Amino acid sequence: MTMYGPSGVDVGDPSEGSVDPAETPARPPGRTELVPRLLGPIALVVVMAALGFLLSDNVLLTLQEVLALAVFATATNLLLGQAGLVSFGQAVFYGLGAYTVALGWLHWQLPFWATFVMAPLLGALVAVPIGLVALRARRLYFALSTLAFSELAYQLAESRYDFTKGANGVFGAFVPTALTYPRTGYLFVLAVTVASLLLLWKVNHSPFGLVLRAIRENRGRMQALGVNVYLHQLLAFVISGAFCALAGAMFVVYSQSSYPELLDWTTSGGPVFMAVIGGMGTFLGPAVGAFIYQFGHDELVRYVSDWQLVLGVVMLVIVMFWPDGLLGGLGRLARLLRKRRGDR
Amino acid sequence: MSDDVLLSARGLRRTFGTFRAVDGVDLDVRRGSIHSVIGPNGAGKTTLFRLLTGILRPSAGTLHFGGESIGGQPVHVIARRGLVQAFQATNIFPRLSVRDSLRAALISRHGRTRDLLSWSQRSLDTEASTLLETVGLTPLAEEEAQRLSHGDQRALEVALALAMRPRLLLLDEPTAGMSPFESRKMVQLVQRLAQEEQLTVILSEHDMETVFGISDRVSVMHQGQVIADGPAPEVRANSDVMAIYLGSDA
Amino acid sequence: MDLASLVTPLVGALSAASSLFIVAAGLTLVFGALRLINLAHGSFYMYGAFLATTLAAWSAHTGLWIALAASPLLAAGMGVVVEVGVLRRLYAREHLTQLLATFALLLIFADLALRFWGKGVRGVSPPRVVRGNLELAGAPVPLYDLVIIGAAVVVGGGLWLLLSRTTLGWKIRAVVDDPEVLAASGVNVRLLYTGVFALGALLAGLSGVIIAPQQAVEPGMDAQIIVAAFIVAVIGGLGSITGAAVGALIIGIVETMGASWAPSWASTFIYLLMILVLAVRPWGLLGTPER
Repeated sequence: MTMYGPSGVDVGDPSEGSVDPAETPARPPGRTELVPRLLGPIALVVVMAALGFLLSDNVLLTLQEVLALAVFATATNLLLGQAGLVSFGQAVFYGLGAYTVALGWLHWQLPFWATFVMAPLLGALVAVPIGLVALRARRLYFALSTLAFSELAYQLAESRYDFTKGANGVFGAFVPTALTYPRTGYLFVLAVTVASLLLLWKVNHSPFGLVLRAIRENRGRMQALGVNVYLHQLLAFVISGAFCALAGAMFVVYSQSSYPELLDWTTSGGPVFMAVIGGMGTFLGPAVGAFIYQFGHDELVRYVSDWQLVLGVVMLVIVMFWPDGLLGGLGRLARLLRKRRGDR
Repeated sequence: MSDDVLLSARGLRRTFGTFRAVDGVDLDVRRGSIHSVIGPNGAGKTTLFRLLTGILRPSAGTLHFGGESIGGQPVHVIARRGLVQAFQATNIFPRLSVRDSLRAALISRHGRTRDLLSWSQRSLDTEASTLLETVGLTPLAEEEAQRLSHGDQRALEVALALAMRPRLLLLDEPTAGMSPFESRKMVQLVQRLAQEEQLTVILSEHDMETVFGISDRVSVMHQGQVIADGPAPEVRANSDVMAIYLGSDA
Repeated sequence: MDLASLVTPLVGALSAASSLFIVAAGLTLVFGALRLINLAHGSFYMYGAFLATTLAAWSAHTGLWIALAASPLLAAGMGVVVEVGVLRRLYAREHLTQLLATFALLLIFADLALRFWGKGVRGVSPPRVVRGNLELAGAPVPLYDLVIIGAAVVVGGGLWLLLSRTTLGWKIRAVVDDPEVLAASGVNVRLLYTGVFALGALLAGLSGVIIAPQQAVEPGMDAQIIVAAFIVAVIGGLGSITGAAVGALIIGIVETMGASWAPSWASTFIYLLMILVLAVRPWGLLGTPER
């Protein structure tokens, strides 16, 4: 598992100190080293595919939602954990992706395969003007600006009844019948998730990814090195927007509907929480966070009506006492153990 | 300007309101030499450095680097031409490892910042390793930058400056805040850079032992002007210079 | 156009602006002194409103008057608990952490509110003495609108007096620049932070009870109001009380005028305005640029 250092995003204040050094690979894996490292993820994918034939329909449906959220959270973390940009507006793209599929069918009878591909493209497109404007604001103000965009999008979706069907949302058979079966739907969503995560992982490990992290650590220095920080942040914003929109389209496979709440700021807060719970400083942290968040929510809702309370308390505890998140904390524990073993 | 001189300033001036921080400075820095700028606090050394790197624009005067005029150019343009400063206050990437910090600088220099596709960057990694060797940070390559000792952070700063393949390196008080051991390491590094890498170095310093130990030429500043300039032994023997230093805290 | 037809919408706009101001004032005050964005500010507001409905149901005549004191006190109490229990530990941490913590608190308070007051919509009528309309320049003006405007004036004036004329106010203004220097000169900065946060919460609770007679008191009003408060505070300038007043006026007027001409476009315009301000002049109309 690759780590980029302790989680924590500089939003204007000196970053919180961490305890242990980052564990970054000495250099990008050469081909001979790649195979053993790939074994873990490949095994995981195989197991998850197999689960498609073993689990009950209900669980498979929940997993569809969780996987969509995992992509949503990982794409958001490109901004949050990698670029250090706190966005409370990624729901704009998520909702956009969902609405693309729904409205494409509703107004123009576009087939699912077309709208599914269009979703990330539209997400990238819309991310350009939003990013151009929002990124002019720094740190906290950027967060507030994205929050405003989120609310704006929500308000637009709710009010333009003729186009979006307003608060009622859009329901219909826009998902092909094949995908409405829990197992096929799950396998499809799983495939898209794996592909998306691979691509996002690649972005993190590219020179561009390192440049994003360097900008996060010292914006002024990178500017002095001749890097157009604004442009690079915009590029990250566009990539994130595309994948968030894809996540929204994936969500439709599960929900078979689209509605304005998908766009509002509290939906935007979701992936941020997931990233924090799972660990902003790790690649799979947000995905793990998505699992915990959504499974937690769905299970809680069944047994306990106070899911918001439990969620809030868990959130609070993690934020206060365990800032590296789950994977981040586990990673530190692993390093600590390794050091002890080394000392002996 | 003779072939020998890499950096040349004539009548360089910088005012802040009515205050003349740098007041008509002439400077010639020869290729491959170690040139020290000394003077009491407030003499204008830091302002001079800022003028040379482009952080400040000159109010008057000319500045030539490698035969080309650089007065008024922005910082990153001057840096790309080969005039680079290693920062005094550490200005590092706190949570990046030492190696990643260098890689980030190298990626920027090679213009590959928007590269999303590359998998392995062999040439870059070789260059990074070489830089680590040069400044002696190889054993600390995977350490987080913010955890390094002050002396090691300054060494990293020098490495980051070297990543820009400078022709001229500015060091503003490189041994400030260092223990004698760290200072020695830094001084040896500077000498190595000048001798082995044929780098031209301008440094400002308060430690006279360092200054007269390794400098080829010394310029003495006082109240914004250069009051003495010449080969190190000559300046050392100059009684006016000594008077300045005895009269104020050096 | 005669004076009478202008008066009602004008008073309406001023009343809307006043409501916004009272809510935003606490938010911007807390940011000004603590550099903290409190997403749970809306929760204090909601609790103030809900408590008012409970007290009004308990006693039709005096309930609301009691709430006028009780709601701010409840909110202030909540504020103290939050500051001491949670936020105090997070001051050294990044803004994101603080933001997320207040978001978590928003969730927690929202859920607890559901337990206490259920999912339904509640309402409360203004006290009888301020019910009905008044005639002003020939036009009917709801008396309660004037009450709200009056309240805003009192709150604004009180804050102005506090911040500019008292030692405490000076300390509050000074603490954001250099808390260590202030602490070194003998000021109990921790207590000051708690006090300012409690004051912000108090204002939120107060706004909840004052505005309750004019709107539906229901779950979700916490998230709704926080966005409106943000817009006002940002446009006016985070940290500036006068800015909050100016921002509230602008938004109040746009909202009221927009409501009659083009309701949905009014909201869109307001969001766009906030986005524009953040992009071009993030410290708002009357704020100060951060170092």
